[in-house]
Amino acid sequence: MSTLTLDPVFWVSLGQIMLVNIVLSGDNAVVIALAARSLPDAQRQKAVVWGSVAAIVMRVVLTIVALEMLKLPYLKLAGSGLLFWIALKLLAPEDEHGEGLDNHNTLLGAIRTILIADLVMSLDNVLAVAAAAKGDNLLLMLGLGISIPLVIFGSTVILRLMDRFPVIITLGAAILGYVAGEMLVTDPVLQTWPLLAPAEWLHTALPLTAAALVVVLGKWVMGRPAAEGAVPEFVDLAREDEQPRRNPRSAKEK
Amino acid sequence: MLKLLVPVDGSENSVRLANYLVKWLGRLAEPVELHLLNVQPSLHGDVGLFLSREQMRDYHHDEGIKALQAVRDIFDAAGIVYTFHISVGDPPVLIVRFAHDQQCDQIVMGTRGLGQFASLLLGSVATKVIQLSDIPVMLIK
Repeated sequence: MSTLTLDPVFWVSLGQIMLVNIVLSGDNAVVIALAARSLPDAQRQKAVVWGSVAAIVMRVVLTIVALEMLKLPYLKLAGSGLLFWIALKLLAPEDEHGEGLDNHNTLLGAIRTILIADLVMSLDNVLAVAAAAKGDNLLLMLGLGISIPLVIFGSTVILRLMDRFPVIITLGAAILGYVAGEMLVTDPVLQTWPLLAPAEWLHTALPLTAAALVVVLGKWVMGRPAAEGAVPEFVDLAREDEQPRRNPRSAKEK
Repeated sequence: MLKLLVPVDGSENSVRLANYLVKWLGRLAEPVELHLLNVQPSLHGDVGLFLSREQMRDYHHDEGIKALQAVRDIFDAAGIVYTFHISVGDPPVLIVRFAHDQQCDQIVMGTRGLGQFASLLLGSVATKVIQLSDIPVMLIK
């Protein structure tokens, strides 16, 4: 555990963890908020509370598992590749599918959705936090501590923040790339095989290269659909019967 | 009939814009057909795997209604007739798309008033609309 909390490295890592959390927690938060939305009020509270409690437990367990697994040789290499992909995906353009089943009118259905979604969607978060903490338990706890309230209370805040300042997403992706690079050079395999042991300068150069690569690749992928002229169809969600009356002076009731 | 498209993001800027428009519209000789448009950001990541299409539509719809509310209140109070629209996706692209589809005469929108450097970094919806649009765009600072 790092005792020197004045150490700048500690604060940089904490900053990394926070930013990564912000960009990776948004979708988890949305599912929790939305899965419970169609329930009656009393049940909605219950679904959010129980869904969140279970999600927290799951996240703690997953992080511990991830940390232990990252000690094994080759797994950091795999984790590094996975993180790199997660970073790229963050920058890729979104297409909303809506493939889930609408089974959220029951309390259990909503909780089940929250659980499954959190299991799948917090994997990226857990891996990123474990990687950025680099085995520092204090950082790990802080990282988890920060991510949990974000997921439970933060959905709209996170979405608005990312919408308002898209640069946060780019920054988060770059950090993920950086962390992926760090993970790559610190894999036990590379430490134990003398021939493969990375030179000292690679410990800085590789993470930076990975971060730059993510941004360049991500922006290139992101810019593509517009270049191909794929203009999306305009779908109007506003309903006809909600439109203001033609003569609003006579329709002042509200 | 002058057909105007007014993109609304629900921020203080759009309230300022609405207040200004109330005055400005009063000065126009020609009757105006006013369209308000709010574009909601797409949900990120794998959200779509867990939620149904209807749930996401409802969510976007409700968020859109919230974002439009303040501006609608201003126009309602001033007795100005309008229709409103909500869509989901990349705001500049959909704003221009709507204006094109509906054959609007002009887009009137606010800017966040960022400096050149800040808007370069943060990206400005207004800047992108100007780039994409083939009809006149009026910016209110």
